[in-house]
Amino acid sequence: MMWSWIAANGAQIWQLTWSNIILGVIPPLIGLAISLPLGIIAARWRWFYPPTLTVVNVIYAIPALALFIALIPALGLTDTNVIVALTLFSLCVIVPNVIAGLRGVPPSVRQAATAMGYGALRRLITVELPVAVPVIMGGLRVAMVSSISLASVGQLIGVSSLGYLFIDGEQRDFPTEIYVGLVLIIALALAADLILVGIRRVLTPWMARS
Amino acid sequence: MRDPEAAATLWWLDEFSRAGWVGDPVSVITFERVTKRYPDGTVAVNALDLEVPAGKIMVLVGPSGCGKTTTLRMVNRLVEPTSGQILLDGKDIREQNPARLRRGIGYVIQQTGLFPHRTVEDNIATVPVLNGWSRAKARARARDLLKLVGLDQALARRYPYQLSGGQQQRVGVARALAADPPVLLMDEPFSAVDPIVRASLQDQLIALQTELHKTIVLVTHDIEEVIKVGDLVALFRPHGRIAQLGTPERLLGAPADDYVAGFVGFDRGIRRLSFFSTASLSLDTGPVLSANATVASARASGEPWILVADGKPRGWVQPDKLGQYQDGTLLGQVPAEPIGHTFTVGTNSLRAALDAAVLSPAGQAVGVDGYGNVVGVATFDRLRAAVQAAQTAADAAAALEPSESGAPA
Repeated sequence: MMWSWIAANGAQIWQLTWSNIILGVIPPLIGLAISLPLGIIAARWRWFYPPTLTVVNVIYAIPALALFIALIPALGLTDTNVIVALTLFSLCVIVPNVIAGLRGVPPSVRQAATAMGYGALRRLITVELPVAVPVIMGGLRVAMVSSISLASVGQLIGVSSLGYLFIDGEQRDFPTEIYVGLVLIIALALAADLILVGIRRVLTPWMARS
Repeated sequence: MRDPEAAATLWWLDEFSRAGWVGDPVSVITFERVTKRYPDGTVAVNALDLEVPAGKIMVLVGPSGCGKTTTLRMVNRLVEPTSGQILLDGKDIREQNPARLRRGIGYVIQQTGLFPHRTVEDNIATVPVLNGWSRAKARARARDLLKLVGLDQALARRYPYQLSGGQQQRVGVARALAADPPVLLMDEPFSAVDPIVRASLQDQLIALQTELHKTIVLVTHDIEEVIKVGDLVALFRPHGRIAQLGTPERLLGAPADDYVAGFVGFDRGIRRLSFFSTASLSLDTGPVLSANATVASARASGEPWILVADGKPRGWVQPDKLGQYQDGTLLGQVPAEPIGHTFTVGTNSLRAALDAAVLSPAGQAVGVDGYGNVVGVATFDRLRAAVQAAQTAADAAAALEPSESGAPA
């Protein structure tokens, strides 16, 4: 380890870290916004569920790099390319969790809500979605960690991220750079996960603490 | 007549009436030729005719798959009948929007169905909020209801997972009552709690009903629950036909056929005694002696067993077995056998009295007054006479009201 290198390149490291944050954090949030309606539809109309699951699974099977390259004709070598690709990946985790979360609402709770006089939409928004929050947040956490990590692969199509440190470090046979990139990505993922756990706790004061 | 305290608890009833949310305080539910056939051909309910009188508890009982729960759920349109109609106060329930209809019908289920993400008070406030009340007003109402169902107001801010099963079930009842619906549907409301909690919830329901006079349909598979809370009972056969409709006493006293007799069990004779009062049971005071009486007086009584009492019953002694004691020894000083349990004369049923006799070493039941002081004892012979008299009276009364018994064809 060359600690002096870190100090000397602080500005660049910070800039790469910030890019990685943007590229990694935005996709799961967009993914959540898309997954909620998809998951609601699939939970409500059962026939919609198998095709949805098949599509998201097929997307998940595509290597990240291949997806970036496939999107180049449409989106070029841009941040947008990486964000779109990672959003698609995040759907693969979040959609099934939205469905599982909604299906996991105890039938007695749903039935009681109906019997109290809730309409379908109001029941969904004020009862079913809040009760599904823990499972949905579980999906969001996995998507977030994987997205922050995959964002570094975007460097292979020239989109700036902590991935730069791996490629540059390997080319210059300079392990310090690689270690710094690795540690920062893991730290970012952990921090994002902790924040999400915190948000989940705030949203679900009604859960038994285990 | 309501006592002042009950009236204070129920201040909101008047407010509801003024606001016009409550039409008639009680409703009649009528099933007319109601059939429910599922797409796979299963008939859950078959041409059901049934009337639930206003302000009464109608218990639907039967084996699983007999259609009792389906029948219940058709009242608030969680299940729609295939044919026939259901009337609430003479009006077809299909004339009303389902959500509106349901806000006027309380619903309590075995699994409670409490909203896990809402506090106790917000759970209870559900229907008032749906009806457009402000949250503050609905919460104030929720706290009154907590008191009504016997829960501490400190629980208001807790979440359901922080409550015991019995407390959750009480919250479920409070939630169902929150908008003061004239009708209450209860689907095995007390089946998931232990027997002690169940008994206390049943007592609570009976107490509430004496104040509120709801029209209640309660589904159970427990014949003891029928006996305890039912004003009327409909016993279902498989596939939704009624085997017998009437009072629980008639179900036990005059089962319509072997199916009914089999369902109510071999001990239906014993269970039926629950409906017979001990008020007219003649008690014997001959075997009762004071703890200050002597062994000599016990021997002189000629009784095989003596109940030693000093107001409260102390125990049974057998004069024949007192040979080692001198005549002057006080009965309070000789070892006595425990009495098992007593029954309260006039309050407890003949069933409790008979049980007391069965458990007593002397084969005699000890009757006490409301303060626990001995009134007298009853032998099996006396109990048998009382049972026969009560049965004769009940059968004679039933014969005068033929509509109360028998099975519809």
